[in-house]
Amino acid sequence: MEEKQNLTILIVDDNPVSVKLLEAMLRKEGYQVITASDGPQAREVAFEEQPDLIILDVMMPGEDGFEVITHLKKNARTASIPVIFLTGRYELDAKLAGFDLGAVDYITKPFQAPEVLARVQLHLKLSRATNSLIASQASRLKQLEEAQTSMLTAPEELPRAHFSVYYSALLEAGGDFYDVFRISDDMFGYFVVDVSGHNIATSYITAAVKALLKQNCTPIYKPVESMRMINDVLAEILPEGIYLTACYAKLNRKKKLLSIVNAGHPPAVYLPKEGEARLTEVDGDILGIFNEVYYGQQDIKVTTGDRFFLYSDGLIERPALKKVWFECLPDLLEACSHLKDVPIQEAAEQLTRLMIGQNCKPEDDIVVLGVEV
Amino acid sequence: MNFRKLAESQGLEEDEFLELVELFVETCASDLDRLQSAIARGDTQLAVQAAHSIKGASGNLGLHEIYEMAKSVEEKAREKSLEGATEAVKAMREKNDQLSESLRKLG
Repeated sequence: MEEKQNLTILIVDDNPVSVKLLEAMLRKEGYQVITASDGPQAREVAFEEQPDLIILDVMMPGEDGFEVITHLKKNARTASIPVIFLTGRYELDAKLAGFDLGAVDYITKPFQAPEVLARVQLHLKLSRATNSLIASQASRLKQLEEAQTSMLTAPEELPRAHFSVYYSALLEAGGDFYDVFRISDDMFGYFVVDVSGHNIATSYITAAVKALLKQNCTPIYKPVESMRMINDVLAEILPEGIYLTACYAKLNRKKKLLSIVNAGHPPAVYLPKEGEARLTEVDGDILGIFNEVYYGQQDIKVTTGDRFFLYSDGLIERPALKKVWFECLPDLLEACSHLKDVPIQEAAEQLTRLMIGQNCKPEDDIVVLGVEV
Repeated sequence: MNFRKLAESQGLEEDEFLELVELFVETCASDLDRLQSAIARGDTQLAVQAAHSIKGASGNLGLHEIYEMAKSVEEKAREKSLEGATEAVKAMREKNDQLSESLRKLG
C-alpha cells in the first residue's frame, strides 16, 4: 500500500456523477484523486499537478477528449502521462481514434469498479516500468568505461536498407555520426546526430547512442516515443552543457510509410519519385538537456523509388560565406532535385559534391545519408 | 430499489452510494430540463448531449430503466430524430422522482 501513497489520478468528465463515482472507487484503493469537469480545466490541472495517470471522458461539450489529449501530448510537461479514455460501449471509432492520439487504453461506460481498478493499476505499473527502464539504461551506460571506437554501419552490411552515406570527420572537430539499423524485416531506422561541444570523446557518445537506438527503436515504440526515451537517458548521462541534435527516420517498406522525428536538427529532405524535393516540417527539442521535451512526428506516404536525405549542418553551413544553415536550404533542395537519376549508391557523395564544391575543403564534420524506398 | 446491492456491485458502501444517487437525481433533473428544451427547439445535437449525460450516469449506478430510455433517445437523436423523446422525458422524470422519493424515505 505504501507504493500507492503518492499516486495521483486526474479524472475528467462533465458529468458530476461519473466523476464522483470514479473518485470514490479510486480513493478506496488509496489513490489521490483530482478532478476536472471540462477540457480547458483538465489541461490546466494536468499541467500544474502532473498526475500519474489521467482518466478522460471522450464526449464532453466544448473541448472534447480528443482535443484535450492532443494538447496534452504536445506539451512536454504532460506528454508522458498515460491517458485512459472513457467511451461508450459501441463507439469503436472513438476507441481507435483515441489510441491513435496516444491513449494507452479505454474504459467503456457503464463501467464496473473491478475493471476500472485493474486498468488503472496496469497502466500505472507499465508507466513505472518504462520510467525505471530509462533509469536502469542510464546507469548501465554510465558504467561504460572504455570509449569504444567508432562503429558506423556501412551500406554493404545492410543491403536491404538501401542507403548510401558520405561521412567525413575533421580531426578533433568530431561530433557528427550516424546509424542505420534494422527494426524488423520491413522496417529500418536511419539516424543522424550532431554532438555539440568537443570536450568529450565522441566515440563514447556514439557507443551510447548506438546502444540506446538498439534498445529503444523497436516495433512497439513510435519514433516520437523512442526519441523521448533516448532523450531521457541522455539527459541523465551527458555532462552539463553537452547536447545532441538529431534526425530520426523510420521507414516501413511494407506499409510504405516514412516517419520522421526531429530533435533540433536541420530538416530532412524528401524527394518523391514524381515531384519536387521538399523539406520535412517537424519540430522538436534538442536531446540530452531537458527532462521534459516535445517531439513532433511527420508521417509521409511514400512510393517505391522515393528518396530521402538526412544530413548534418556541415553540409549546408558556410562560415566562410557567413551563411547560416537555414539560408542555404533552397540550394539544398535544388541540389537534391538534380539527384533523381543518380543511383542511390552514389547519391550521398554526389549531394555533398554539389553542395561543397569539387575541391573545397569542408569546414566542419559532414554526414549525408541518402535512402531509397 | 435495492441500493445496498447496487452499491456492492461498484465496491462502495451504501451511504457513499446514496450520496451518488442524490447527486444523480439533481444532475438528471437538470439534464432532463436541457433535453426538454432541446426537443422544444428541435436541437438534436443538444438532445444527444443531454441524453448521453443521463445515460452515462444512470448506467454506472445500475439504474437500468432510465439508462435504456436515455440510450434510445440518444441513438435516435444522433439520427436526427426526436420521435418518442417527449414521452421518454416524461417517463424518465417519473423514474427520477421515484428515486428522489425513495431517498427521502431512507432519510
